[in-house]
Amino acid sequence: MKNGFSSDKEKKKKESIFDLSKYIDKTIRVKFQGGREASGVLKGFDPLLNLVLDGTIEYMRDPDDQLKLTEDTRQLGLVVCRGTSVVLICPQDGMEAIPNPFIQQHDG
Amino acid sequence: MAATPATNPSQLLPLELVDKCIGSRIHIVMKTDKEIVGTLLGFDDFVSILSETHTWVLITPEGRRITKLDQILLNGNNITMLIPGGEGPEV
Repeated sequence: MKNGFSSDKEKKKKESIFDLSKYIDKTIRVKFQGGREASGVLKGFDPLLNLVLDGTIEYMRDPDDQLKLTEDTRQLGLVVCRGTSVVLICPQDGMEAIPNPFIQQHDG
Repeated sequence: MAATPATNPSQLLPLELVDKCIGSRIHIVMKTDKEIVGTLLGFDDFVSILSETHTWVLITPEGRRITKLDQILLNGNNITMLIPGGEGPEV
């Protein structure tokens, strides 16, 4: 029973469940642990999800409310993003801000 | 590392880019509101950074605190971004 699993384990290694090569040379948006957000053109990556982004723009958060994005951005240029810190990757034009759908109407 | 068939060999590997930056200025952004600008001396598998640091800028809601340090070993645990040749946050 144990031996039946071992051959599968040898094959698993470092297969990624998500293929980033289709995003190469496309603009992606990345969210990090700690609340930072950035977007840039994906130039490279590795299986540990370290990323190389070009023309990177960081979106700054509101200093009073760390969860709210402001209009402020800053240019960072060519950047390496640590895979250990990445929580979300999506295409830049694949998302938009919408009004909060979870707010309950307080009818009393 | 074993062969990774998914990655295109002609692309830019992140750790290669950091390796090219050794000896020149690098700007490191942490998960929190801390940033470091210095000369990169080296790094390891966990991307702990050895650097000769010129400035360490701590950005807080009240403002910035700038501390100058000599050589540092920075734990890679909290690093979010590495910017080769970066000048750091606007002073």
